[in-house]
Amino acid sequence: MLMEVNMLKAVQQNAAEKIGPRLCDVDDIQLDGQTYTFYVMEFLQGEQLDKYIAQAGEEWVPILVLQLLNRLQILHEQGWIFGDLKPENMIVTYQDKQIRLIDFGGVTKIGNAVRQFTEDYDRATWQAGDRRAEIAYDLFSLAMVMIRLLLKPAEWKDLRVQTHEIQELCAIILNNERLYPYRIPLVRALHGKYDSADAMRQEMLASLQNRKKDQTARSHVRHQHGGDSAEKWIGGIFVASLLLLAGSLYYAWL
Amino acid sequence: MKQATLRQILIVTDGCSNSGMSPVAAAALAKEQGITVNVIGVVERNEVGEQGEAEIKEIAEAGGGLFDIVYPAQLAQTVQMLTRKAMTRTIHQVVNKELKEILGESALEGLTPEKRMQVAGMVDDLGERSTLEVAMLVDTSASMKPKLSAVQQAIHDFSISLRSRSGTSRMSVCLFPGKDKYLDIVIPWTEQIEKAHQITSNLTMSGLTPTGPAIVEAIALFNHVPLPAELADSYRSRYNETEDDDGFLRDHVF
Repeated sequence: MLMEVNMLKAVQQNAAEKIGPRLCDVDDIQLDGQTYTFYVMEFLQGEQLDKYIAQAGEEWVPILVLQLLNRLQILHEQGWIFGDLKPENMIVTYQDKQIRLIDFGGVTKIGNAVRQFTEDYDRATWQAGDRRAEIAYDLFSLAMVMIRLLLKPAEWKDLRVQTHEIQELCAIILNNERLYPYRIPLVRALHGKYDSADAMRQEMLASLQNRKKDQTARSHVRHQHGGDSAEKWIGGIFVASLLLLAGSLYYAWL
Repeated sequence: MKQATLRQILIVTDGCSNSGMSPVAAAALAKEQGITVNVIGVVERNEVGEQGEAEIKEIAEAGGGLFDIVYPAQLAQTVQMLTRKAMTRTIHQVVNKELKEILGESALEGLTPEKRMQVAGMVDDLGERSTLEVAMLVDTSASMKPKLSAVQQAIHDFSISLRSRSGTSRMSVCLFPGKDKYLDIVIPWTEQIEKAHQITSNLTMSGLTPTGPAIVEAIALFNHVPLPAELADSYRSRYNETEDDDGFLRDHVF
């Protein structure tokens, strides 16, 4: 417990963009001669991220991910990674719709071994690297959080029992219409290509702006594709009828 | 404080021992020699039984370590968490003892919460940088067979966690009962486990679970302990055999 408070204390929070709850005080209390340590934190009135999305709608996912990337950038600049990024460790406040990280037990100094993690969001479980605390470790987890939030619960469940390879994740991203618009930042984060949360944020923003354009382009592609196969089909009939003609001619000649 | 070496034996089993000396006594012996004994009970359903659970708990307590009882799917994460917690605990005990020598009884309770947080930070840092040696003892009695693929996965996963630490880590994997001894070393001490080790093939499945004798033999693996002459001889001759006779390794290692 003390380590969590330590981390919360070590991470300097800027007043405008709060990363987590504010730590008010740490003290001891004596009850029946026993000493208990306690700490007081700011009370965040809000909802756990996955539940919030279920209520407020999927359109909030990219927005909250952008907010998260901002928080992570601040944390990373101070030499820490969050470590255990998952929807259960995030709260969206009701009042100002800001995402906050809770449970600082996984916060790790960059370069050390990640102190706490959850397998679904852990890059080592997905065979995409080790558990050394790096900026890319957090960004991998964040990509997994986004995938989890945009997949249907049954799809996510299926994914968890698969072989745990990132090729599999990439295939899903490219074939799922809710994930497809964010394929660039997601695939790059899964491959550890970003060296800062800001870099991922830029590309996430670009994906968001291109989304509309992209969707129309994609339906266009699908249309063309349909045309292609129709042509092939007609071609096939033509060849078949030629064969038939040749066959009947041969028969007549006999 | 000088660089510490932490030594642990980690037992993965699914029930009661039924052969040789008491595993609780063996764990107490290990503790006397500076080796912490942790135990993970891995069960399909509630098959471990009261007696098995009690034994698992007693071994860990006598060995100064921790225990947990989990399903095969949770094994990988449990191995990592339990090892980490046990390390922190061991260091805490050492630090407390040193503080007591300096500050007198109830030293840590006398500190302010802020100071105690600093101590927790220091302990965490020591844990990250210290040398860690873990000998993993896998029960391969007949009932463990369906769980061995989870065990193998956990070994691989654990090696990634160890590789991510700043301090030196060494691990070794042994099976019990062995072919003709209590313990077969399938992976001798190594800092880097790169290959996937096949532990499921070529096992002698039996009803015997000689947990106690296996712990005693495992103590001999840690070379800081001067061995009784008899044990040293038998152990050394066996180890040389292992090195000369490639076939032994080939049986188990892919």
